[in-house]
Amino acid sequence: MNGELVRACATKAQPGMKVDTKSQYVRDAQYEAFSRILKNHELYCTVCDNNNGNCVVHNTAEHLEIEHQKYEFRPKPYPPDQSHPMYRYEPDQCILCGRCVEACQDLQVNETLTIDWNREVPRVIWDNDVPINESSCVSCGHCVTVCPCNALMEKSMLGEAGFLTAIPPKVLEPMIDITKEIEPGYKQIFAISEIEASMRKTRIKRTKTVCTYCGVGCSFEVWTKDRKILKIEPVAEAPVNGISTCVKGKFGWDFVNSEERLTKPLIRKGEEFVESTWEEALTLIASKLKEMKEKYGPNAMGYIASSKCSNEENFLFQKFVRAIMGTNNVDNCSRYCQSPATAGLLRTVGIGGDSGTIEDIQSSDLIVVIGANPAESHPVLSTRIKRAHKLHGQKLIVADLRKHELAERANLQIHPKPGSDLIWLSAVTKYIVDQGWEDKEFLNKRVAGVEEYIQKLDKFTLEYAEETTGLSKDTIIQIANMIHDAKSVCMLWAMGVTQHKGGTDTSTAISNLLLITGNYGRPGTGAYPLRGHNNVQGACDFGTMPAWMPGYEPVQDPKVREKYENAWGVKLPEEPGLDNHQMVEGIDKGKLKGLYLFGEDMAIVDSNINHVESAFEKLEFFVVQDVFFSKTARFADVVLPAAPSLEKDGTFTNTERRIQRFYKVFEPMGDAKPDWEIFQEIANRLGANWNYKHPSEIMAEAASLATIFAGVSYDRLEQWNTQLWPVAKDGTSTPLLFTDRFGFPDGKARLVPVDWTQPFRPGEDYDIHLNNGRLLEHFHEGNLTYRSKAIASKTPNPWLEVSPELAEERNIKDGSLVRLTSPYGVVEVRALVTDRVEGKELYLTMNNREDIEAVNLLTSSYHDDITHTPNYKEMDVRLEILEEEGEPPLPDTNHRFGNRIPQISVRVEDKWKRQDYTPISEIVEQGGAKYGEGNQAN
Amino acid sequence: MAKAIRQIKKEVPNPVEEKAEAISAIVDALAENRDAIVKTLNIVKQLNEIGILDAVNALLEKRTEVSVIALQQVNQPAMYNTVKNAFNAFKFFGSLQPEKLQTIMSGVDRSLERFTDAVESGEEQSLWKLGRSMTNPEIRTSLTSMLQFLRGMGEAFSEDQQQQLH
Repeated sequence: MNGELVRACATKAQPGMKVDTKSQYVRDAQYEAFSRILKNHELYCTVCDNNNGNCVVHNTAEHLEIEHQKYEFRPKPYPPDQSHPMYRYEPDQCILCGRCVEACQDLQVNETLTIDWNREVPRVIWDNDVPINESSCVSCGHCVTVCPCNALMEKSMLGEAGFLTAIPPKVLEPMIDITKEIEPGYKQIFAISEIEASMRKTRIKRTKTVCTYCGVGCSFEVWTKDRKILKIEPVAEAPVNGISTCVKGKFGWDFVNSEERLTKPLIRKGEEFVESTWEEALTLIASKLKEMKEKYGPNAMGYIASSKCSNEENFLFQKFVRAIMGTNNVDNCSRYCQSPATAGLLRTVGIGGDSGTIEDIQSSDLIVVIGANPAESHPVLSTRIKRAHKLHGQKLIVADLRKHELAERANLQIHPKPGSDLIWLSAVTKYIVDQGWEDKEFLNKRVAGVEEYIQKLDKFTLEYAEETTGLSKDTIIQIANMIHDAKSVCMLWAMGVTQHKGGTDTSTAISNLLLITGNYGRPGTGAYPLRGHNNVQGACDFGTMPAWMPGYEPVQDPKVREKYENAWGVKLPEEPGLDNHQMVEGIDKGKLKGLYLFGEDMAIVDSNINHVESAFEKLEFFVVQDVFFSKTARFADVVLPAAPSLEKDGTFTNTERRIQRFYKVFEPMGDAKPDWEIFQEIANRLGANWNYKHPSEIMAEAASLATIFAGVSYDRLEQWNTQLWPVAKDGTSTPLLFTDRFGFPDGKARLVPVDWTQPFRPGEDYDIHLNNGRLLEHFHEGNLTYRSKAIASKTPNPWLEVSPELAEERNIKDGSLVRLTSPYGVVEVRALVTDRVEGKELYLTMNNREDIEAVNLLTSSYHDDITHTPNYKEMDVRLEILEEEGEPPLPDTNHRFGNRIPQISVRVEDKWKRQDYTPISEIVEQGGAKYGEGNQAN
Repeated sequence: MAKAIRQIKKEVPNPVEEKAEAISAIVDALAENRDAIVKTLNIVKQLNEIGILDAVNALLEKRTEVSVIALQQVNQPAMYNTVKNAFNAFKFFGSLQPEKLQTIMSGVDRSLERFTDAVESGEEQSLWKLGRSMTNPEIRTSLTSMLQFLRGMGEAFSEDQQQQLH
């Protein structure tokens, strides 16, 4: 650059810069640099599983026209590390480039990998140099993805990807030796390896898909050979995650080929289920639905949709329910999680979705996380926060009962009393107003109801807040100051807020605080209810809700109904239907006689499941459609085998409101069918006469009817292209909401006064608070992720987190079996003593394997008044010890027992300081190579 | 009233039926590719008669052991030379320009003719006569070309020496 030799990777491009990459001088330097790399890497490309046309070392050697190796390859004195069940490290192939370390330290920010530059032969080490499987590694796969060669590889690739790579070592090693001895020059070797690489393309299929393990919406390629999944290959073009993944997205897909998949319809006959043909099952369903509709009326049936299924499937299901079955009794599982957040936002800003995108979150000055554990439940999203916080000075406030990973990293962690978030949020808001720090211009121009709202804040004094939340006045003032000092604030929340009796009101309080401080409508600001399932957002968006047609158009609005009635040629029911909670109540009271449910395990995930299960027993007819024989399916009359996302086409909408396409990888297993095909076949048996051949036709219909999807089309969603609703007719997306107007007719936001709802307390007999939630390794209750042997080996059981104080008081040890009793049921589970929880607060993970471990045996049927979302997070229990000693619920190989080694990047400066390091610029001189000249003089 | 049940009666695949289905699928495929199959069978028959199938079968069955032995044979300095020589020879032919090679080859061809004539006739020329041959334009051309050939070889040798010093 401008005549100087500089490192391309560390030099910022500037206008007017003169860059030379071709002169002899530069080429000599490149040759020297690359020779040093090849000293650490044996080239046996044709028999290497990474020879798939995208090996960086291979391609660079070829690009630089390297013919021979200047320095001889030297194996490192370390054996390969095969300890981890998902990937291996082969030091002999490691070129010590440090990409894995950088990814681990500064992108994933798990801080496990370093390179020890001080030892004679450096290598990558995990924690304090322990086997990979015993380290703090969270198996996110970042290091494997960025490795430019085969040093870090997915075990699923080894011996599978190449035509010659399954050769046993005793044959392979002499082959490599011979190749090296003969060394005809790398050009010839590359020619052969390229032929082999292109041959691989004929049998390795690469398909874009969208992850189904949380609402973040990571997309990546799936590499498959027949039905075998070779690996998940993230790509830089993926709009949300780029090259990032978490353990579930990277390694959690074994369930697709599980032998326990449902492959044939089942019909209950007496005391058992009997396999049947589709014809028999569909005919039975159609005749039964028809008969019940005639006998009891359309509203005696309930329909539960799936937040794991596609937008098209949800659209078609609600069309089936409304147009064919004539009822609005349709709901999805957002009722269990995020409905209060949606309701709180609809009240205040008029649109019930995230205000912006992951880019706003990573560019914000201050992140406030309330009642959410993104590092486990939204792992890739949390990496962006961790990175911004570590490298770019982003501030972080975490309000949580547990000291989870983000709480540990936070500038300020607060631990309010359970269920008291509304109070401290309102107190902070009041303090800000009292100080005159509110954004007056923003409030004047863009917000309605300001005066009235401020008056209603009177109650939330610092004294009142201190008393009810347990937070000191200083802490509340500190929060207010941090919000005031920040130029932009994003607030993120999840189940810790919504799963309370006052869930909607607390969500409203969050939005109020953002409005008061003007933190809406600008980059880096806004409200972010983090959606738990891959398509919670989409299921709601596409109308599987009792009061809303697709695109949040009210069922009660005659104009909306007219639009759909004209399109579908039927009369639609006028009144909103029952939600999930009301359906269960309806069954209990004998009003609801039948239920059709797909892609949802309500017998585990609903609260107070003893009650739910007794309701299911009363059903006259129950259809369950799923990938596995779920717990809910045990109650069914007909069970239909559905196809998971890898076996169909469709779109999902992530937490950012981003619509993304996924493509079929495999044909459905056995007789399983995509959900939308099943709906169509049932509808047609009831006279619908539908003829959808591909999900794109369903999306086209949705786009023609729902205003916010006007410009959505499969063509615009090809491959990595995505659209964020509202999408204008011309296809323009809206990544950031509210830049000009809020979602009300007058364009103004509303400040809505809210009051605190006391959380439910079961009484004096129950003396310990019970918290619960997800964990990183398992999706929800784990019915998909337990089918991955590797994941199950690292995290085989649920566990109960007990604080050291309580453990000492009650004599509980790691592995003690305890019984928890609430007024609603009993759970038996093994304990883990950890300071992630405090005092008399327990945390029970929800990845239950046995029925007796399910947390929802304990939870109640109380709920948020507005949305009927159960108060999963409000329960106290009694604790008894059943066995004092026992096998700890987590093996030593779980990442929670590792020791992180935080540092910034790979510390290449330490390499440069080594005695044996000679800068390339000293070896290569302008005008030719020094070593050459010296010899010529002879 | 529907109690939770977990019992699933799986349709046990009938082995006889499955076999019959598989056989009929194979017969279909055979019928569709009648000519190709008959020809292939003929080839296979002949391979079998001369014992090649047995040999291949044995090789495949013992593939790992056989590969190890074969590689041991290859994994020796003499074999490295053979392979390297083969590569070099291959490179050499690649570098030759066909027109030049043609000129030389036709020269060599004619030379051989003369050469065999001379050998057959057993004629021996006196030194004087040999000296006089230098005036012969054909001999002169040939000697000049030979000298250039030697020069080229010398150039390549000295370049090679320089390269080795690097």
